[in-house]
Amino acid sequence: MTPLLRFRSVSVRFGDVSAVDDVSLELSEGELLGLVGESGCGKTTLALATMGLLPSSATVEGAIDFRGQDLLALSEDERRRLRGDRISMVFQDPAAALDPAFSIGDQVAETIRAHRPVGRREAKARALSLLREVGIADAERRYRDAPHRLSGGMQQRVVIATALANEPSLLIADEPTTALDATIQAQILDLIRDLRRRHGTTVLLIAHDLGVVARLCRRAAVLYAGQLVETAPVERIFEAPAHPYTRALLAALPDRSRPRGALAAAAGQVPDLAAPPPGCRFAPRCPLVRDECVRRPLRTAVSSGHDVACWAAAPAASTAAGEIVAATNGGR
Amino acid sequence: MTETALELPRRRSLPRLRGRVGREAGVGLGLLAVLGLLAVLAPVLAPHSPEAIDQHRVLGGLTWAHPFGSDALGRDVLSRVLFAFRASLSISLGAVAIALAVGIPIGVAAGYFGRALDAVLMRPIDLLLAFPALLLALSLIAITGPGQLVTMFAIAAIYLPILARVVRSSTLAVASEAYVEGARARGASHLRTIVQHVVPNAIGPALVQASVLCGFALQIEAALAFIGLGAQPPTPSLGLMLFDGYQVLEQAPWADVFPGLAIAITVVAFNLVGDGLRARLDPRGITR
Repeated sequence: MTPLLRFRSVSVRFGDVSAVDDVSLELSEGELLGLVGESGCGKTTLALATMGLLPSSATVEGAIDFRGQDLLALSEDERRRLRGDRISMVFQDPAAALDPAFSIGDQVAETIRAHRPVGRREAKARALSLLREVGIADAERRYRDAPHRLSGGMQQRVVIATALANEPSLLIADEPTTALDATIQAQILDLIRDLRRRHGTTVLLIAHDLGVVARLCRRAAVLYAGQLVETAPVERIFEAPAHPYTRALLAALPDRSRPRGALAAAAGQVPDLAAPPPGCRFAPRCPLVRDECVRRPLRTAVSSGHDVACWAAAPAASTAAGEIVAATNGGR
Repeated sequence: MTETALELPRRRSLPRLRGRVGREAGVGLGLLAVLGLLAVLAPVLAPHSPEAIDQHRVLGGLTWAHPFGSDALGRDVLSRVLFAFRASLSISLGAVAIALAVGIPIGVAAGYFGRALDAVLMRPIDLLLAFPALLLALSLIAITGPGQLVTMFAIAAIYLPILARVVRSSTLAVASEAYVEGARARGASHLRTIVQHVVPNAIGPALVQASVLCGFALQIEAALAFIGLGAQPPTPSLGLMLFDGYQVLEQAPWADVFPGLAIAITVVAFNLVGDGLRARLDPRGITR
């Protein structure tokens, strides 16, 4: 089966800055994939490249196939028609993502009318049922409310309703819970999971928090400084992380067994993306660094569905194995 | 499971423009309503024809029949003030309306699309802004000859760059808001995004500016008429009345005081409304 979404050697540059470097990744139909990495590692850039909303200062290379069609080859108008219809996005800060001058209901209805030839009344009826579906109590009365009259969690529910308005095939959720209280986070994550189950929507969940990904996703991809370092089933990420960066990320998770205040952190700093180190970008901070690391490591399978891009993790015959994985990794 | 949102009194549609206006703005709005009514109803309210000359009433004082007195030609000052105010107010409002109608699209396009379009649109605007206001008006009138219509366009030319600049800067701020990106992410075209999301959020400061400019437009109109480059006699005009009254200021101050008061009250009313709007739309007081 062709994957719903497939990044093929995608690179994004802003002038001299290499924000995303040669990322290849697939999402199969109905999958919920977590994309993890710290701030500035290129998660959002990758999402915006998929939406076609990067500023004109960005140059994108490679291909982003959506149902086998390269999105980067489409015209701006064709891309616009996909946005909010087949591919939609939930942003980080719901308070900022809703227009303060329009009622929440109108913003949902607008999304429907932008893509479907339906009348005002029908769009409103559909918007109402969407608001109910995402758990807005008393939707009829809330329909005309301005966004600022809702709590953050309610606002994010409205944003999710706009994103789901036209039953998209792909939903990109860019840190959907980062701006919310911890108790509300769990509710929103549960909502996303329920909606995905009900509609079969494929979800790309972007997070900097491994806990969020563990709660929701079966498979996770780890991004570091614009490079994809590891892709694996979530339990493998936790039990047997293969990339030194993934291990550092796990070690940095707060742990109740450690004394208070002692938060682990990886040594060193994220490289300057305007002059990244050659080869593996984690090499300067890596405890396992070796001579080969100045060359780009190939993607190697350490087990079924578990790929890593690291020289230290690669078995002896790494090159050949890596090539095979690279050629066949559409399998999952 | 679901959070219950706080129950508060509810508002409908365009929430940011609704609600209680401050006391000053209320006074301003009240004044404007009265002034607007006076202007519209001038032909009904005026006790005499503004152009009727009465030789027996030359520089006549205040009487019941002529509450504002009479001028050097014996014309009724009250009737003339009413008609002149009507003409001046229409010119001011027309000028600001033209400036808004041209300035908003220019400012929004420049701020939203930026880059080359910004440069192409804003450089001529900067050029206009570099001219002293009255000089700009005078050169326009020098080309076409004096008249009320020219006065209106001259004032619009003075205001256009100001309003375009204000709109551009607020558009720049709004265009970087997440909800604009959000609208694009939902598949809205640029035009739709601008009309639905950018303009309603970016227009506030321009409206504040415009309401204050309306008052100043009345002053400019009067100034141009005063120096003989605006409305021409016998058209009743506040500026012309000031000039005529100025000649006889010592004998008949009322011929000057009442048109002057009309200008002053209108400017104050527009300023009060502008301040009120500013407080309403921009509680942090960024636009000054």
